[in-house]
Amino acid sequence: MSQDQARKPIAERIWDFFASVKLSFFLLLLLAVLSIAGTLIPQKEGAAAYVRAYGEAGWRFISAIGLNDLYHAPWFVLIMALLAANLVICSINRLSLTMRIFGKDPVDEAGSMRKPKESFTLPGEPASNLDKARQVLERLVGSSAQAQDQGRTVLFAQRGGWSRFGVYVVHTSVLVIMAGALVGNFWGYGGHVNIPVGSTVDHIILDNGQAKPLGFSLRLDKFNVSFYPNGMPSEYRSDVTFIDGGKPVQKSTLIVNDPAEYKGIDFYQSSYGNDLKAMEVDLIRPDGAKQRLTLEARKINELPGGAKAAIQGWRERVQMGAMYDGPVARILYQEAKGEPQAYTAFRPGVKMPQSGPLKFEIVKVQTESYSGLQVKYDPGVWFIWVGCTLMVIGFFIAFYFSHRKVWLRLGAAGQGRTKLEIAGATNKNRQGLARLISRLSHELGGGPKKAE
Amino acid sequence: MEAFSNQILVAVTFTFLAASVLYLCHWAFKSKVFGWAASGVTWAALAALTLAIVLRWVASHQMGIGHAPFSNLFESLVFFAWTIAVIYLIIELATWMRTIGSFAVPLAFLSMLYALTLDPAIKPLLPALKSNWLIAHVITCFLGYAGFAVSAALGAMYLATGQAKDPASPRALVLDNLIYQTVVVGFILLTAGIVTGSIWANSAWGTYWSWDPKETWSLITWLVYASLLHSRFMRGWQGKRMAVFSLVGFACVLFTYFGVNLLLSGLHSYATGK
Ligand code: HEM
Repeated sequence: MSQDQARKPIAERIWDFFASVKLSFFLLLLLAVLSIAGTLIPQKEGAAAYVRAYGEAGWRFISAIGLNDLYHAPWFVLIMALLAANLVICSINRLSLTMRIFGKDPVDEAGSMRKPKESFTLPGEPASNLDKARQVLERLVGSSAQAQDQGRTVLFAQRGGWSRFGVYVVHTSVLVIMAGALVGNFWGYGGHVNIPVGSTVDHIILDNGQAKPLGFSLRLDKFNVSFYPNGMPSEYRSDVTFIDGGKPVQKSTLIVNDPAEYKGIDFYQSSYGNDLKAMEVDLIRPDGAKQRLTLEARKINELPGGAKAAIQGWRERVQMGAMYDGPVARILYQEAKGEPQAYTAFRPGVKMPQSGPLKFEIVKVQTESYSGLQVKYDPGVWFIWVGCTLMVIGFFIAFYFSHRKVWLRLGAAGQGRTKLEIAGATNKNRQGLARLISRLSHELGGGPKKAE
Repeated sequence: MEAFSNQILVAVTFTFLAASVLYLCHWAFKSKVFGWAASGVTWAALAALTLAIVLRWVASHQMGIGHAPFSNLFESLVFFAWTIAVIYLIIELATWMRTIGSFAVPLAFLSMLYALTLDPAIKPLLPALKSNWLIAHVITCFLGYAGFAVSAALGAMYLATGQAKDPASPRALVLDNLIYQTVVVGFILLTAGIVTGSIWANSAWGTYWSWDPKETWSLITWLVYASLLHSRFMRGWQGKRMAVFSLVGFACVLFTYFGVNLLLSGLHSYATGK
């Protein structure tokens, strides 16, 4: 730190620290290195997986500093916040400078010509060459300003000054994208829902396992999988109807890569499968009396005589070595005047320990196909697309446009001739400027440099 | 037609090898004849490669599973070779510095050679891969990768031909500027590639960014090049430093492209060529 630096007030020193490009260079590389760590350590696995891979102590370390969900760890977010602060402060610092350069009075500029890059003489007095010089300059560069310099006339023109703002467009776009990610994090949610064909749902299961009412409902009218000749699936397709206030309001078709949206919530085709629709079971009492029941899935079935039954869970196929291979269901049963009791039901003819006075045997399993939808609400996504567009536009401005300034000075060269000098300046792309100057010189009647 | 296309690809691979050798001879013997031969052979390889890609596209339509030939590792390697050849030849036309070919054209050859070790069968697309955004994603990414590949070739040439000894010589300055230009092209296209990839991911599964290893590595590559560009703008890094940086950046590109598939797992596992 220089002497000068040490004497500055602390606030100013913090400001300078955040305004430095050294810091951004460091932060960009730091983010890169940390991101690498995140791709080497598996993310968001269960604790057991980490213990297996890194041992007990390793797992304690990993979970303590959040390496198992690195990209959402507070310190990772903090580094991004530092980058954002860096970006904002750096931009504020430079913006006033850029504005000053951009807003300079052209007449003042004309009065401060740079060192000439080319010079040659033309026939005719300076006054008679001035108009042509101005025309060429304005055609190739832009509108001109004029100043006098020790009896000589200086013409000044510039183009592309606006391109100095390209950097700000890029940097703003980075902030807009970060803002979009934040908005999505705070106000958005994601979840899923499985809808059996023909059924209607009015809530989804969030990623954290909680149920969330949608405020409207969604009916799956049809689900279809089509296949290629070789048997690979080629398309999953769900036809759905959105129902709001009891009335069907919108029909949509969901295929992979083509989601549907209703009230800002997006629904994506993501999976499909078979689920239980109903089950026929025999209820066998201790005296051997049998009663056939049809139990529908996902509801409490009211049975004749006041009893109630529900299927709590089921598996299409459970293998238990030589003992059993078939469906298993867990049934909750309550007599008209009794406590609910859980029973495990198997196919008939198996010897299994019983958990109560009654016995249930599975007679028939009826399944139905369902379509699995991913559900997403993200109010930040538009920030992302706007930010991305700005970024690409900003890149083109920042990389492919430059601020070029050109001066022409016309002075008397004696014997009725004019001495013409050309100077130029640019903030980047010197080769482009050199080409512009040689073109100017060519059109103004200057020969190759040797002619001097 | 598929078989014919594959035969052309084999021929193209060895044509790139021949071109590489000719460029090396041109460099070693400073002979114009080798230079012209090398350029001619490279143009021929590019033309044949273009034909093979078009035929493959047509063939997939005739099989009733039509899709643009950018859907798996094999097809991406072929396209990568194509983009390297295109970007290199543009630079050759602009600068007539054929020594660059000794460094760039072998990359096209290696890419094709790797492709030949994979199964070339045209396969139908999984539902998730049927998207125009995916096509835009692959094209922009690979053009970007090719920009970085050529900049690395230029960087290697800068170091191998000893430009660092006299960084102010016209040749060193031209090379330095070319490294910068190709990095800029690569950077813009990589950005466009990441953006189109996000749009695709968002329409396929509802998240524009999920930190899967491939995405993360493309971001890492992007961050490395962003810091390279800033060091150039602000600290005036040039010459040898740019050359080294372009090689480091390209190492990140290679890891994003191959390393992630081979060593890490994630959403993009479709691209393993299996
Ligand atoms: C996060 C991603 C970032 C990207 C993609 C990015 C991109 C760019 C680009 C494209 C330029 C080109 C400017 C030109 O050609 O004139 C640039 C310049 C610059 N960037 Fe960044 N930048 C980023 C972050 C930052 C940060 C965090 C800082 C903080 C200080 C910063 C400071 C600068 C400065 C000072 C310049 C030079 C401006 C000038 O030429 O006047 N950048 N940046």
